[in-house]
Amino acid sequence: MLHIKPIINTLMRSKSGPILLLIQIILSVAIVANASFIIGERLALMDRESGTEEEQVFNFLLYAFDSGIDIESQIPRDIRAIRELPGVIDATTTSMVPLSGGGWSSGYTIGDSEETAKDTENTAIYYGDDHMVNTLGVDLIEGRNFYETEVLTGSPDLATHGIVSKAFAKKTWGDESAIGQIMYAGGWGDKPIQIIGVVDKLQGAWVNSSYLDNSVILNVRLVNMFSKVLVRVEVGTLAQLKQVIPAMLHKDEPNRVIEDFTLISEHRKRVYRNHELMATVLSMMVILLLLITSLGLAGMVMFNIERRTKQIGTRRALGAKRRDIISLFLVENYIICIVGGIIGGLVAVQLGQQLMTFYSLPKLELIYPIVTVAGMMVLTTIAVILPARKAASISPATATRSV
Amino acid sequence: MFFYYLDLAWRSIKKTPLLSLLMVFAISVGISTTITTLNVYQLMSVNPAGERSDKLLAVQLWSQGKDAWKEFNAQVTYQDAFNLRKSELPVRQTPMFVTGLAVQTEDADFSPLLETVRVTDSDFFGMFSVPFLYGGAWDKSVDTQAAYQVVINEDLNKQLFAGENSVGKTLFLDSKPYQVVGVIKTWSPSPQYYDLTTGAFKDSAQLFIPFSLTPMEEFQSWGNNQSWKRESMDTYNGRLNSEMHWIQFWVEVTDDKQRDEYAQWLTAYVEQQQLLGRFESPEAGAQLSNVAQWLDLNEVVPEDNKILVGLSGLFLLVCLVNMLGLLLAKFLKRAPEVGVRRAIGASRNQIFAQHMVEVGLIGFCGGVLGLIWAWGSLSMLSARFNLEESLTHLDPSMWIIAPAIAICAALVAGIYPAWRICSTNPSVHLKSQ
Repeated sequence: MLHIKPIINTLMRSKSGPILLLIQIILSVAIVANASFIIGERLALMDRESGTEEEQVFNFLLYAFDSGIDIESQIPRDIRAIRELPGVIDATTTSMVPLSGGGWSSGYTIGDSEETAKDTENTAIYYGDDHMVNTLGVDLIEGRNFYETEVLTGSPDLATHGIVSKAFAKKTWGDESAIGQIMYAGGWGDKPIQIIGVVDKLQGAWVNSSYLDNSVILNVRLVNMFSKVLVRVEVGTLAQLKQVIPAMLHKDEPNRVIEDFTLISEHRKRVYRNHELMATVLSMMVILLLLITSLGLAGMVMFNIERRTKQIGTRRALGAKRRDIISLFLVENYIICIVGGIIGGLVAVQLGQQLMTFYSLPKLELIYPIVTVAGMMVLTTIAVILPARKAASISPATATRSV
Repeated sequence: MFFYYLDLAWRSIKKTPLLSLLMVFAISVGISTTITTLNVYQLMSVNPAGERSDKLLAVQLWSQGKDAWKEFNAQVTYQDAFNLRKSELPVRQTPMFVTGLAVQTEDADFSPLLETVRVTDSDFFGMFSVPFLYGGAWDKSVDTQAAYQVVINEDLNKQLFAGENSVGKTLFLDSKPYQVVGVIKTWSPSPQYYDLTTGAFKDSAQLFIPFSLTPMEEFQSWGNNQSWKRESMDTYNGRLNSEMHWIQFWVEVTDDKQRDEYAQWLTAYVEQQQLLGRFESPEAGAQLSNVAQWLDLNEVVPEDNKILVGLSGLFLLVCLVNMLGLLLAKFLKRAPEVGVRRAIGASRNQIFAQHMVEVGLIGFCGGVLGLIWAWGSLSMLSARFNLEESLTHLDPSMWIIAPAIAICAALVAGIYPAWRICSTNPSVHLKSQ
């Protein structure tokens, strides 16, 4: 470590090799830091929980296309029959399925008078009955569920009672309890809905929306040719129920399409597909880049050693230990790596800035370039030490034979 | 001379197999990431309308009120679509939206299928160059005098009618009998530019039915429905007369002159509607976009892809710098040999050319290997993520682009090392022999 000056001198004498290494390290740090940051960000997005029992809950589509079917009595009869099936924990009709990518959302009006009225944030809306909380497997942390008698059947406009997610309650009423609050589905005073319960967490259908955690469950069993049915079952029974349910429902009324059995965990996979894809491609890029950089470095060191065989041999003959030879190459590497790391870190931040300006990416966190540079030091150490050990084993006699 | 150099290059590569392999590996990995991302980017940004791109125009109207949306909506209202259809200017025009209906046949044992259905006018097929296998579109008169006719695609024809010519046969949609008038060949432009509202990369509808049936059959819309106004839509008629945007509208013009005429016609239409109390916003107006503009406007290429292309370009750069370093090391080691060659009469140009050929050969190998990597990674990605096939098949142009990029990149990387080696003074190296 005491001989840094002659090492720098050596580096300066044959500039092109070290400069190329420097450029490579700068670029690698810039790319790896930004790519890891994007990967980290995507993984964090994918890690968010929906609040439901994703492995237990599935939905399917029930399309009663025959106008002769009395849907108003048919649907409750279907749901009751499904609840009776072995393996089924609970079932309900719904307007929407968590993480499915399609459904209903709207804002509401709140306030004590028309003058002070204001709009809430947008929220996902689940229309369902007193079984919905249990079917989704969400935790009711405050207030109560709907009573069976409170559930209405028909159009969405009928809603009178609501259960909200904690996130929505907090954004709408702050620290005040949401229980007993009134919100209006139309303008102020129009179609009031009383909040009777709060669930800990329930996400909506759109994972890329800013209001993903805002949800409301309303006390209406929708009547529509298209019905979505949510069923919560014991894990592992889906495959069998996929056969049993259509057979049973078709027996009752054949003129219906029954399809699209999908677990929420499958919806999750699909809606996060692009994020996962991005994270996968970037990870591949990072791994390959590190591989290439370290292989390239090892190759260069190997060639340097061959070129400097005589020099090394002479040094060995003059009393340099093996350790000294290895540390010579390591110090050389660290100098390049530290300089490259610092410049690379700056370039990484600059690149992150550009990405932030042109695309909807958040600001690069500084920890990413720092960890990248540290990782690069470790990696290059390995890449250098292996060929350097070979260099150190050069016997002074053979190396200096022709001098 | 070229082949002699090629031979020399091959011998040189064989002499240092590990290093050469490393270089080929580096460039192939760089190329394959670039090709993979470029391929997906290219397939997403492709304009499937080809040379008809300028003739097909998407129509947008700023029909919302004063404090409503701040931009043109991608779709129009039913009443506007209905009125626009009356224009006699464009060659062809069509409103459309997507719905879903239960399909049954006369075979009672056939269990009903739920299929997506595109509700449109007869002009749709001509405008978007839909290829027919049997029959054709319904008659133009059906666009005004509604009739229960349907065009189905090849796949559905196989499923329902065992692939025979089914023109004239009957199938049931939501229990209503429809007569098959045409069977189209498999047709699924990617991106699905004529309707981007529910995703650009998905399969086209299996069935097509006349738009004129809409008020009678009250089809539900499976696409986006966007309202800026709170209004009652309890009945289907309420929906048709509402300000909700849910219909896509396209026209076909012959040339720019007709495009301008149509634009003027639209301006007049907006003014006429203003007299009726609609189009209240000061920004009220119309916008026409050809297919290329439409793809751009709808940001069909996702941001992620642009970031990936950028990063993979930088990645390629790293691979090149890597290769440059290795080449430098390799060439300089060969300096004594070059010294001899120079001394016995080889010119600088010849030395330079010889080394460039060697670099080009490495680049070519890297390019080919890179293509194989890219093909592998695309297949892996599509299997793992169940991607649309249209996005993951290797575009034919890549078979030229990949080796070309690889060779060019390698040559660029090789210039400096080759120059260094041919500009060294031979006497220096000769001395030590």
